[in-house]
Amino acid sequence: MPTVTVQPDGIEVPLEDGETILAGLFRNGYAYRIGCRRGGCAICKVDLLSGEVEYDHTVAENVLTAEERATGTCLSCRAVPVGDVTIALREEHLRRVSSLLAFYAMAAQGKGTPAASSAPNSG
Amino acid sequence: MSVLRMGYMHVRVTDMAEAKQHYGNTVGLYQTLEQDGKVYFKGWDEWDHHSVVLEEGGVGMVKCGFKVLDPGELDGIEARATRFGAVVERMSAGENAEVSDGIRVILPSTHVIEFYHSMTPVGLEVGTHNPDAFPRHLVGIGAPRLDHALIVAEDVGEIERFFKEVVDFYPTERLATSLDDDAHLIATWMTIGNTNHDIAILEGPNGKIHHFAFEMRGWDDILHAGDIFAMDDTPVDIGPTRHGITRGTTIYFFDPSGNRNETFAGGYQCFRDRPVVTWTPEAVGKGIFYHARELNERFMTVMT
Repeated sequence: MPTVTVQPDGIEVPLEDGETILAGLFRNGYAYRIGCRRGGCAICKVDLLSGEVEYDHTVAENVLTAEERATGTCLSCRAVPVGDVTIALREEHLRRVSSLLAFYAMAAQGKGTPAASSAPNSG
Repeated sequence: MSVLRMGYMHVRVTDMAEAKQHYGNTVGLYQTLEQDGKVYFKGWDEWDHHSVVLEEGGVGMVKCGFKVLDPGELDGIEARATRFGAVVERMSAGENAEVSDGIRVILPSTHVIEFYHSMTPVGLEVGTHNPDAFPRHLVGIGAPRLDHALIVAEDVGEIERFFKEVVDFYPTERLATSLDDDAHLIATWMTIGNTNHDIAILEGPNGKIHHFAFEMRGWDDILHAGDIFAMDDTPVDIGPTRHGITRGTTIYFFDPSGNRNETFAGGYQCFRDRPVVTWTPEAVGKGIFYHARELNERFMTVMT
């Protein structure tokens, strides 16, 4: 399964196969600036520093131009990584908004089964 | 002058199959035509042929239409729009499917708006002879009718002046930097009838649309719509909640291409002599989202 590394803080987050960057980050308990989540508003653009992505829906040219694609702009709500990728958020940091989700997402990735006593009690 | 209402909103969608699913099965509009790559819908409480037009390729607003009562009104609109300095052209019957001849205006904000006097009548879903209160088998949220749109323009005052001078709309509420006469206008909500708004204008990049809205019958139907959005995995921007501005109850949500839609109910009766409400920036959170009293990070920035 691919991972996405999110700059500027270098946070590495595991994704499911076929999952968009946006969906995977939120499933893991993280947040950043997003809008329509359907490829229309362009607010969730990030820079793709390494790796490749595919788009699981048609993305409008007036949202993401061919030039932007060629120069590494990535529309994160529709972008599905092909293998590991590194992205950089624009003028913001990835925010961890749910330690509970992050904890169980890590557990589901097989990085240890959470014991009840060690589970976080709040997000 | 007698503009009746916003009659249609024509938007671009990236995937027609998904868009038809959304506007047909989630919003619950009735498809009335599919022709030349466009799909036409109407709500159950509308009688003209369509109120929503979808066109595949891109995202955002193509144009919207306002219906006038009498063909004779069009000459006056043409003259006043020309005097205003907008780009004005005649359109002929059939340029828009099932729509009469009319006037096409390109606003200084680059939005295209059309004025027409008739559209092929289709009829209310409940008919007009001893009708029932609503159709028995509504689909999705069962939106009755298109209500209004919020468009985005660099110079809100200029577009407000267009709707006042050319088609006699009046503002019901405004958002300004202060109560001073020379305050900067950030947004305005304007009507031609007795509802709170047929058109609203928000400061931002020219040519964009913030949302277009369907009128619902009340708060219960807004909550029901929220349930349907959960079932259909429709992305919700905010709500159910109330706007301080207009007092209307609302959910903002997105279509599968990212165009923002709204379900709107309530508001209050407006009249030309009713004093205009003014909101100032320190209360804008409460004005937009009355219960949370703070703007989310999407309201002022997310548009198509």
